[in-house]
Amino acid sequence: MKDNSKKKAKGLSLNVRNNLIGYSFILPNFIGFFIFIFVPVMFSLFLSFSHWDGFNPMEFAGLDNFKDIFSDKVFTSSIWKTIYFSVFTVLFSMIASLALAVLLNQKMKLRGFFRCALFFPYVASTVAVSVVFNAMFQKDYGPINEFLRFIGIANPPGWTASTDWVIPALIIVNVWRNMGYFMIIYLAALQGIDESLYEAAKMDGASGWRLFAKITWPLLTPSTFFVVMMLTINSFKVFDLVYLMTGGGPGTASTMISQYIYNQAFVSWNYGRSSAAAMILFLIVGALTVIQFRAEKKFVNY
Amino acid sequence: MKKKFAKAAALGLVAAMTATTLLAGCSSSSSSESTTAASGDTTTAAGDTTEAEKEETEASGEQVTINFPVWDLATTPYTSEMVAAFEEANPNIKVNIIDVAASEYTNKLSIMLNGGADCDVVFIKDGDTIASIAEKGQLEDLTPYIERDGFDTSKYKSFNDYNLDGKQVAIPFKTSHYVLYYNKDIFDAAGVEYPSNDMTWTEWEEMCTKLTSGEGSSKIYGGFLHTWQACVQNWAVQDGENTILGPDYTFMKPYYEMALRMQDAGTIMDYATLKTGNIAYASPFQQGTVATLPMGTWFMSQMIAKKAAGETDVNWGIATIPHPEGLEAGSTVGSTTPMGINAKSEHKDEAWEFVKFACGPEGAKFMAEAGEIPSYQDETTLETIAAIEGMPEGTAEALKTVSIVPDRPINTYSAEVNKMLEEEHSLIMIKDSSIDDVLAEMSERSKQIQGLE
Amino acid sequence: MVEKRSPVKRTIMYILLVILTIITLVPLVWMLSASLKLDSEVFSVPIQWIPKNPKWDNYSKIWTKIPLATFTLNTVKLTVIITIIQVLTSSFAAYGFAKCKFKGRDILFLCYVATMAIPWQVYMLPQYSMMNEMHLVDTHTGYVLMQAFSAFGVFLMRQFFISLPNELLEAARIDGLSEYGIFAKIALPLSKASISTLVIFTFVTIWNDYMGPMIYFNTETKKTLQLGVRMFIGQYSTEYGLVFAASVLSLIPVLIIFLLGQKQFVQGIASSGIKG
Repeated sequence: MKDNSKKKAKGLSLNVRNNLIGYSFILPNFIGFFIFIFVPVMFSLFLSFSHWDGFNPMEFAGLDNFKDIFSDKVFTSSIWKTIYFSVFTVLFSMIASLALAVLLNQKMKLRGFFRCALFFPYVASTVAVSVVFNAMFQKDYGPINEFLRFIGIANPPGWTASTDWVIPALIIVNVWRNMGYFMIIYLAALQGIDESLYEAAKMDGASGWRLFAKITWPLLTPSTFFVVMMLTINSFKVFDLVYLMTGGGPGTASTMISQYIYNQAFVSWNYGRSSAAAMILFLIVGALTVIQFRAEKKFVNY
Repeated sequence: MKKKFAKAAALGLVAAMTATTLLAGCSSSSSSESTTAASGDTTTAAGDTTEAEKEETEASGEQVTINFPVWDLATTPYTSEMVAAFEEANPNIKVNIIDVAASEYTNKLSIMLNGGADCDVVFIKDGDTIASIAEKGQLEDLTPYIERDGFDTSKYKSFNDYNLDGKQVAIPFKTSHYVLYYNKDIFDAAGVEYPSNDMTWTEWEEMCTKLTSGEGSSKIYGGFLHTWQACVQNWAVQDGENTILGPDYTFMKPYYEMALRMQDAGTIMDYATLKTGNIAYASPFQQGTVATLPMGTWFMSQMIAKKAAGETDVNWGIATIPHPEGLEAGSTVGSTTPMGINAKSEHKDEAWEFVKFACGPEGAKFMAEAGEIPSYQDETTLETIAAIEGMPEGTAEALKTVSIVPDRPINTYSAEVNKMLEEEHSLIMIKDSSIDDVLAEMSERSKQIQGLE
Repeated sequence: MVEKRSPVKRTIMYILLVILTIITLVPLVWMLSASLKLDSEVFSVPIQWIPKNPKWDNYSKIWTKIPLATFTLNTVKLTVIITIIQVLTSSFAAYGFAKCKFKGRDILFLCYVATMAIPWQVYMLPQYSMMNEMHLVDTHTGYVLMQAFSAFGVFLMRQFFISLPNELLEAARIDGLSEYGIFAKIALPLSKASISTLVIFTFVTIWNDYMGPMIYFNTETKKTLQLGVRMFIGQYSTEYGLVFAASVLSLIPVLIIFLLGQKQFVQGIASSGIKG
């Protein structure tokens, strides 16, 4: 069989053979992906150029939906809120998960327990988490503000009941929830770093912080790219947490793009406008991803 | 690189086209069906079941199964009892209850309706969404059925609300309206007379001041306004002259002023505390820290259940909701929960039998006995409710109404405007912006939503 | 690097970790305490960390009030099946994307990445209509098909495979291994750590998924755990004690999976002899 294929390979061009092997790897996943995800996604993007109520035949709408959403203050401000939320979520989640991974990569007692405890936030169901955090963030009696008063802050923020502090509160919860998972990705990567590199560096007299800057950090760049990319994508389309914790309020202070998409589709039943907003989100995240891919090619040498 | 992107775009286009044809296929068939339905051809015989339903019919002989989506089945046991009684009376029809969580019910229902024949009976949770559903042509016109069966429509509350453009799209099933719950022990301790069935909002506010006492965790609040915008805005629309559709909202100002005044005076709990602490009205009232609570009639059955379970020992009573100055006592705000038939249903006749049963005297009996107010009301209905064990004295008197203004009018934009009002409401209550600014903002957004600019 | 650490530094590190862990766990403690309370006590202010009269029967009530056992079985079944399909097909595809050269590779991969940027709420409706046409709504098959082929798995595994040294694969090719052999005998064993992260991710996502089952399942016997938890949240009243009891119980299996999986990070790549 093997011989046979080798002979054939000489007959066929190497290119065709390579193509076939490549396709055979991809096919099992691609069939499912294409039918159940790609087609619906493309269809919904296409909807942004139409008027549709979800039931009756569609009508072509040109750019109407885009004009509508851009004249809606709630939408334009949701873009900025999403960016604000995402920038800080990505930054803090990355730092927190990396720090935890470095700490927990060392040999120590109770390592399994610590890892498990710090991973717990990621596992807890968002329904439960949102209820708990709302109570924790309570203005007058919440444990968080009680603690802040204890350390001497007389006028702690109103958190989810304040238009200025609601997004920081959401960022805190999101970082808390994310750090455990991304810690694991970093841990997996740290395991891949050759101990002998550290040994060699130590011979040269490097220690602590320098070891991290010279060896750990550069070798983690591929993982960092991955973590940043995933965090960016996830925080730009954050939905369940906001939906359950603040419902986009107070006012529209925490209404982000995916919230807007949802409201347009399921409160106003205007799928065209909802898809137009999704298209904008798609373009933003798409552009960021392309930039990150380019950067990755430049900085990372596989 | 450019070439690659062009290819990607081409591929995307192909995919989109495949999808379009796929979906266009299903939506064109749906439109043709809905036109036949609209033309008055309502006699879909039970016999010509399509192949999709064949398995079910075969499995149970002559039986037909109709799908009936509901929310919160666990907390409304009368639904199951009613369905059981219906199945007994109609052995050839089986009702398949689909239980959905309340918060997602409206979405799920709209998805099922968009999907075609997934449900037969259309039970609508928020009455204000019915206009958009009917507009899509998803609700069967019930007029021919009503005429055919000589269905008596005279004993219903708000029956004509569901007659849209000459089509009766649904029958009202359940009615809820706002009443005033009170804690007798707090009144006794403060030496204040129990609330009467004829009281103005100003009198209520004064009463709350007298009833408030204590500090910290043992504080007793004279009143309670739940975080829903309805718990302020409803009193502004109670006279029936304005609706939440505005688009001018200055008429709400006095009630917002009252709410903020009470919040500052500490006679009601702070909105921000309630909202962030997930404190629903039930807990404070059942713990005995709240003297008076304007709330919907649905809270009655809950109070009875909690008291029976020994989880609260509050000695409670019911009075008619306070009213604005110059309005007749018994004018209240509320909503009805209607039932209709899916225009694409394959078992319309069976679904109609069920709707007739559930919304008629039989269904009304099950509801009344459970402490819910049916929309079908005869002389005995309120008495039946008042006679339930655990219901306080004077309930029948307190439940009498002269008018029930719908809290959310049946209008295509109602749901969307309501969502906007919810957002803006919180800004006033947390004192992020002044009442005037927010009311002006409401007006602007309302106009935009309704296309009134 | 660890051995040389001074005891002072070590102690500081432990204290830091303990504080972090406590902060992280406060919400869990809150959930545990709420799961033993009456509904009316759950949000009482100020917070009662230790309930006065712990209501242990909250934990027995949840089994009788709703068919929780059926829901749990369904969830386990769906989660396991989806995780297996997801891990197998996506690592297979990811290897193709990372290490095989074929026409259209980058474009196909772009399709995968593109879909990751779209929130599910956007394409949920077309997806549902399609499933409906195929008669897959209200079936476990439909849900499995919908969840098993997400782009994330392919993306994650590709990022790992791409960092496998090409020399290693080339050596195997010269030894006469086919591409499939290289995948099965070299690439997979080396990717234990990444596979564990994917397993954990998929497991947690499916286990906690609420919207998917909510939209797709109508019949009581097909529903999942998360739908069960929500059954205690009503339109006008929520039985918070029961919500939290069910939430706490639903945490346990996921934590077990994690405990099992985290060992892989110790053994993972480090012990398999391939470095850097």
